[in-house]
Amino acid sequence: MSSAAEVPAPARFRFEDSSLAIKLRQNVGLVTAIALFCVIYLLYHVAHPKGFSSAVLVQNGDEIFTLAMVAMAQTVPVLAAGLDLSVGALMTMVGCFASYLLSGAPEGTPINLDLGGLHLVLATLPGGTTGLIVGMILCLVIGTLAGLLNGCVVVFGRIQPIIATLATGAIYIGIALFLRPQPGGKIDDDLNWAMTNSLGDFASTVHIFNDGAAPWFAPLAWIPVPFVLIILIAALVWVPFRRSVTGRAVYAVGSAEGAAYMSGLPIERAKIAAFTLGGFFAGCGGLFLAIQTSSGNADLPQAGAYTLNSIASVVIGGTSLLGGSGGAIGSIFGAMILRVISFFFRIFDIAPLLQPLFEGIILLAAVSIGALRMLRVRNTLELFR
Amino acid sequence: MNWAVRISGLAFASLLLSSVAAFAGPKIVSGPGANPECFKPWSDKTKFFQWDKKPGPYRIALVNGFVGNTWRIQMVKTAKAFAEQPGIKENLKEFKVVSTGTDVAAQLGAMEDFINQGFDAIITIAVAPDGFDRIIRLADKNNVVVVPFDNILDTDKVMMVNEDQKEMGRMSAKWLIDESGKTSGDILEVRGLPGNSVDRDRHLGFREVMEAPGNKFNITEVVGNWDTGTSQKVTADALAVHGHFDGVFTQGGSDGTVRAMMDAKQPFVPMSGEGENEFRKQIMEHYKEGLKGMSYGQSPALVAIATKAAISALQGNVMPQLISIPIPVATYKTLKAGENYWPDLNANFFAPNQFLPCGVTFTAPEIMAQSEANK
Repeated sequence: MSSAAEVPAPARFRFEDSSLAIKLRQNVGLVTAIALFCVIYLLYHVAHPKGFSSAVLVQNGDEIFTLAMVAMAQTVPVLAAGLDLSVGALMTMVGCFASYLLSGAPEGTPINLDLGGLHLVLATLPGGTTGLIVGMILCLVIGTLAGLLNGCVVVFGRIQPIIATLATGAIYIGIALFLRPQPGGKIDDDLNWAMTNSLGDFASTVHIFNDGAAPWFAPLAWIPVPFVLIILIAALVWVPFRRSVTGRAVYAVGSAEGAAYMSGLPIERAKIAAFTLGGFFAGCGGLFLAIQTSSGNADLPQAGAYTLNSIASVVIGGTSLLGGSGGAIGSIFGAMILRVISFFFRIFDIAPLLQPLFEGIILLAAVSIGALRMLRVRNTLELFR
Repeated sequence: MNWAVRISGLAFASLLLSSVAAFAGPKIVSGPGANPECFKPWSDKTKFFQWDKKPGPYRIALVNGFVGNTWRIQMVKTAKAFAEQPGIKENLKEFKVVSTGTDVAAQLGAMEDFINQGFDAIITIAVAPDGFDRIIRLADKNNVVVVPFDNILDTDKVMMVNEDQKEMGRMSAKWLIDESGKTSGDILEVRGLPGNSVDRDRHLGFREVMEAPGNKFNITEVVGNWDTGTSQKVTADALAVHGHFDGVFTQGGSDGTVRAMMDAKQPFVPMSGEGENEFRKQIMEHYKEGLKGMSYGQSPALVAIATKAAISALQGNVMPQLISIPIPVATYKTLKAGENYWPDLNANFFAPNQFLPCGVTFTAPEIMAQSEANK
C-alpha cells in the first residue's frame, strides 16, 4: 500500500491537447463553413412552409449539385496554388456533349461529325440503359481529358495556370458553341426524372429494390439523389486522392513548391493530377446540369458565373487561395452556403432591387468569419503561415 | 426500352412521396378565350388552356433571371406598380419578386421553391429556351400556373406571353431596305445576349428578309448584349474595321450604337433598333441628317400582362396558350414628344410602357420616377 504522496499526480486532461482539438484547429475553415451552413440552412427550413420535407430537399439538392461539383473542381488546382478559370467552360462543354450522347433513343445514338461538308460516322451508342451508361461515362472521360489538357499546358507549357486556363476555357466554350450554336438537344426523360429526385423516385424509375417499395428501403426513400451523389463522389474520389502520395504532393506544392521539389516529391505529376481531377469534377457538374435541364446550352454568361461562384465557394469553404490548406469538402459547404443565401429571398420579403446588395453583405460577413483568427494573433508573422 | 410505360408508376410513387394533389394541369379546350383584346392568341392554330378555378386572392411570384440592365429594372418596377393597382391588388395575397442571375439551376430551384411553398402562379423570364420540363411537370402536378414571358420557352405545354420577336427582325430588315432603297451593301447587325430565344428569333427574322432571293447584303455581325456600353464598343470596333455601313440593325443598347457612329464621324444611315427613349431622342435630333430610324419596343410592361394572364387563368377563364402582344413601333415619321418619347428626360428607360386594352395605364416616365424605397 503506497501513500498518496508517492502517486504521481495524473496529468490533467486539457481539451486543447486532445487529438480532436488539434484536428479542429487544423480544419478551422471547414468547421466554420459547416457550422455556418447548418445555422442558415436550418433557418431556411424553419421559415419555409414546407420545410424539412423531401420535396424541398430535392429541390435544394438539384440546385446545389452543379455548383458543388464546380467548386470541388476549382479546389484541387487552388490547393496547388493555381487558379482554374476554365471550370465553367469545361462544365458547359461537357453539358453540350451530354445533350447529344444521352438522348436514350431506343434504336441507339449515332455519333456523327459534320465538318465543312465532311460527314463522318464515328460510332453508334447502343440504345437503352446501356447506351445511357456508356454516354455518361463518355461525358466524364471528356471532362477528365479536358482537365488533363489543362494540366499539360500548365506543366509542359510552363504557363501560369490563370493564363493557361483562360485560354483553354475559351477553347472549351468554342467547342460548346460549335456543338450547340443554339440551346437544344434531348436527354432521356426518365434519366432526368431519376437523377433529379429522391432515392424513392430513382428506384421506381430504374426498377430496383422492388420499384423502391422494399420495406428496408423505405427509411431511405426521402433522400435526394444529388446529395447521395455528392457524398459518393467525395468519399470515393476525393478522400482517396487526398490520402495518396500525389494528393499530399498537391498540398505540398501549394504550400511551398521549392521545399516540395527539394524533398523529391512528384511536382509535375501532382500538378497534372490536380487539373485532371478538376476536369473530372467539372465534368460531373456539366453532366448533371445537362440531365437536369434535358438540354445542352453553350451559355457564355452562365459559364462565367459558375467560374466566379466556384472561386467564391472555395474561399467560403476555408481553402486558402494561396494554396496548401483547405479541401474539397469545405468547398462543397462553401457552394451550399452561397446557394442558401439566395434561398432566403424566396421566403422573406426583400425589395427585389436590393437583393444583390444583401447577398453581397451576407457573403462578405461569411468570408469575414474565417478571417476572425486575425484578431487573436500574437505575432504578425503568424499571418504568413 | 419501355421507359414511357413506366411513367405512370413513377408518377404514382412520387405522388406518395411528395404527397401532392392529384395530377391536374390545364385542360386543352376550344376558344375563344377571355378578354381577347388583351389576350390575343398568337395565330389561328394556337391552342386554348383552361385551369380549374381557384378561389382568390392568389400568391404569385415573379422569377426573373438576369438583372442589371435598364430594361429589367423597369420591368421589376412595372411589376411592383401593377401589383398595387386597383383591380389587381384585390386578387393578390402576396406578390414576390426574385432575380436569380444567369444560372439556369438557380432559376429552376427558385421556381420549384415557389411551387413547394404553395404559390398559385409563377411568372418568369426564362434564362434558356429549354430545360424547364421538370418544372412544367411539377407545376402541372401541383396546379400551379407558370407564365414565361419575354424570353419564352420552346414548348407548347405552358401559357406564354410575348411580342413576335421574329416579326421585329423582319420589320427591321424591311425598314433598312425601304429607307436605303438598296438591295445590296454593307449592313451591321448588333445582336443581343447570346443563348436565349429573343436574340435568336430577332436574328432569324432579320436574316430571313435580308437574305431573301434578290438581296445581296454583306452583313457584319457583332454581339452587343442589349447593353448600351457593350453595344457602343462593338459598333466602334466594327466601324474601325469596316469603315462604312449602309444600314444598321441593333437589338438593344441602341443609343450606344448611335453614339459610336457619331464618335467615328460616320455619316448617318438608316437604322432600326429598340425602344430606348435615348435612341428615340437621337432619331428626332438627327433624322434630317440621315438617321432615318425605326424603333420597335419590347415593352417591360409585358410583365404586367403576364401577371394579368396568370390571374385570369387562376379564375378559371379560357386562355390562349401563346398570347401575342402587338409590337409598339415608332419611326422618325411618327415619333411625338411627350407621347412616345420624352425629349426632356435624360434618364435611360424604354419608352413603350402602356397597353390600354390590358389596363396597363402608366407611362414609362411615371414608372421610372418611382423610387424603389417608396414601395
